[in-house]
Amino acid sequence: MSAIRPLCVAAVMLALPGLGRITLEAQVPRDPTPVVAKTSPADIAAGKVLYEATCSKCHGLDGGGSDGPSLQGVAERLGDEAVGNIIRGGIPGTGMNGFGSLSVDETGQVVGYLRTLGRTADAEVAKGDPGKGKAVYESSGCTGCHIVDGSGGGVGPELTRVGSMRGPSYLRATLLTPGAILPKEAGAMERGRFTQFLFVHVVTKDGHSFEGTRVYEDSFTIEIKDAAGKFHGFKKLDLQKLEKLPGRSVMPSFKGTLSDTQLDDLVAYLASLKGTPTP
Amino acid sequence: MRAIRYALILLSLVVPAISLAQTPVPYERIVKSDSEPANWLTYGGNYYDQRFSGLKQLTPQNVGGLKLAWAYQPSRPAGNVETSPIIVDGIMYVTEPPSTVTALDAHNGAKLWTWSPVMHNVVAIGLFQTNRGVAVMDNRVYVATLDAHLVALDAKSGAVLWNTVVADNKLGYAITGPPLAIDGKVMIGTGGSEAAVRGLLDCYDAKTGKRLWRIWTVPLQGEPGSETWGNSVPAGGTTWNAAAYDPKLNLVYWGTGNPAPDWNGDERPGANLYTCALLAIDPDAGKVKWYFQFSPHETHDWDASEPPVLFDDVINGKPRKLVGFANRNAFYYVLDRESGEFITGMPYAKQTWAKGLDAKGQPIVLPDTGPSPEGNLVFPSITGAINWTSNSYSPLTKLFYVDTREMGSYFVKGTSTKWEMGKFPMGAGGERALSGDDAYGAIRALEATTGKMKWEFRLHSPSWVGTLATAGGLVFSGTDEGNFFALDAESGKPLWEIYLGSSLRSNPVTYAVDGKQYVFVTAGTTYFVFGLP
Repeated sequence: MSAIRPLCVAAVMLALPGLGRITLEAQVPRDPTPVVAKTSPADIAAGKVLYEATCSKCHGLDGGGSDGPSLQGVAERLGDEAVGNIIRGGIPGTGMNGFGSLSVDETGQVVGYLRTLGRTADAEVAKGDPGKGKAVYESSGCTGCHIVDGSGGGVGPELTRVGSMRGPSYLRATLLTPGAILPKEAGAMERGRFTQFLFVHVVTKDGHSFEGTRVYEDSFTIEIKDAAGKFHGFKKLDLQKLEKLPGRSVMPSFKGTLSDTQLDDLVAYLASLKGTPTP
Repeated sequence: MRAIRYALILLSLVVPAISLAQTPVPYERIVKSDSEPANWLTYGGNYYDQRFSGLKQLTPQNVGGLKLAWAYQPSRPAGNVETSPIIVDGIMYVTEPPSTVTALDAHNGAKLWTWSPVMHNVVAIGLFQTNRGVAVMDNRVYVATLDAHLVALDAKSGAVLWNTVVADNKLGYAITGPPLAIDGKVMIGTGGSEAAVRGLLDCYDAKTGKRLWRIWTVPLQGEPGSETWGNSVPAGGTTWNAAAYDPKLNLVYWGTGNPAPDWNGDERPGANLYTCALLAIDPDAGKVKWYFQFSPHETHDWDASEPPVLFDDVINGKPRKLVGFANRNAFYYVLDRESGEFITGMPYAKQTWAKGLDAKGQPIVLPDTGPSPEGNLVFPSITGAINWTSNSYSPLTKLFYVDTREMGSYFVKGTSTKWEMGKFPMGAGGERALSGDDAYGAIRALEATTGKMKWEFRLHSPSWVGTLATAGGLVFSGTDEGNFFALDAESGKPLWEIYLGSSLRSNPVTYAVDGKQYVFVTAGTTYFVFGLP
């Protein structure tokens, strides 16, 4: 009698920030009880212990990626069951071993803990009215630069799931002082994790000046996106000046342009944007 | 006679215009590899592991004209591509993740044969499912597999000549590094320190695969050296990367990895011999002639597994046989490779854990620089100021070219030191790396005899690409973002760059076929070769 449990292979579409969209084949126990994130404080604490013992070596203590990819936001994108299957079954041909020794409940605790990773620490509860906030969002020009559920402009970051990653305090601070707190991109293998939306000013050797948000940089090249959403690429050797200016942003501040109530409502609307798992 | 003539005519019709000599590579030829720079006969180019090529066709004046010659892509690579090829008389032997060997026509990338092991339920803890290269000697290609076998393949066909189990993969032994083939022998080390295996180094008969000797890198309890482990069961000290060899001294130089568990050393008080050390081994006797421990009682995962580089120079008016070692702990060391005597050492990257080195090369460790429960910021990071990638040394510039990682980590001490062989050490800790805009990389040129930096070329982020130095006056390396580039070996000035679209994760090499010099590197899962048009 073989002790090896029969396995089947399921294709999972995994979209990780910075890695694009890749297809992974997860080994899934043939008769799995679906894993559901366990999110009580005790479960999350237990999940943290399991995560640090089992997962952190490859995925980093904060889930931001180390030898393995970032797991921040992975449960929001894939859903608890798919993440649970990967944890228990592994992904053949990658460094991701299956951890079949974890029970369904323990796996749920790990997934529950994963759901807490990468969020900005934020104890504030949104006090505004999300419905009214949506109207503020639409009347304040936000749709010109941000996409929610497929609608809007692509100059700034998509906000479809912003409420699952950012809390009300963070959202409020960003609306009032854009660029004051900049998130880090996801990364793997101690790489990436650069500051996102970093404001950059460059002057070419022939005297032309450009400014915008850094979208790409390597040792030889930098690419920025200006306030109109236009991309500009430069060879660093062709620049006379390259300034990185954290604190500045192409996004305007809403300080003084929205009432406190409007601001509360807008924050409540943004905090309500949780998206749905990728189908 | 007529039949032979017809056969020859027929052969002339089917044999391509390129003929591949496929000459065997006896040991004596590898010893003199510097005399045939068109070939790249060992992992590090020569036994001294210098990654220096005598080829001069590419120069600072013409390197800007490099263009893609060919590219090769494995059909379905499963893991990181980190291979460093061997090139013999127009044939290139590469590996593909996890443990496949493929022979390519070095003129055009055409696949000549390929071999893959059959592996089931491989245990790979704390390491990448990759393979960094083969060894070639006589008419055999040697490869070690992720499931800890050592295999000899026929160089002409890829057929298995012998297949020997080095260690039990279920316990966590896994191999990603290249074997070392010397006169009649093949040596191989393993990984697995994160699985708390007992480190070993093996030597096999090159013809039969029979094991000749084994050196355990950490003692059993009660054996000599166990007094450096307190009451704990010694574990770790694995031998997972490349080695160097001095044929005249008949000494092999092999680095060892961290003690286990990594980030909590409470249960293993003492120096933890022979972890984080360089071993000089007599390959005939299977004995350690001398050792030099860089990081006693290591708790930051700073393996001393970097490939050692052998070179000769004059120090204080006296000719010396030396070994240069850029350690993961951010210090560069120069040792006498005959005796193991410490000659000099200095940091080549930011480090905050030691005041310096004493007269014997031992670190003067600063207080409160170990992992702590809440996380203690220390430079360099867990992956070190360098990791598995190879350095190069040019006997022309007498410079040592290091792919340097400038990054710190918050080191976290785990709450438990319990471990079981074959499993992750539970709760032993880890890091939060200070990466992104807080980190950077650099190609640094150090004076090989002193470690003093002559120049640096800064990189956007710490990279995982070794360096290659050439007699043409060039240094090649790459970036984690995907740039492959050439620098002036004397000044570090950038001379050529191309973006390859994905992280480079290999040591570049150079070779020549039909009188033309080429440069090889991998990016993502593609193998690229560049030459002048």
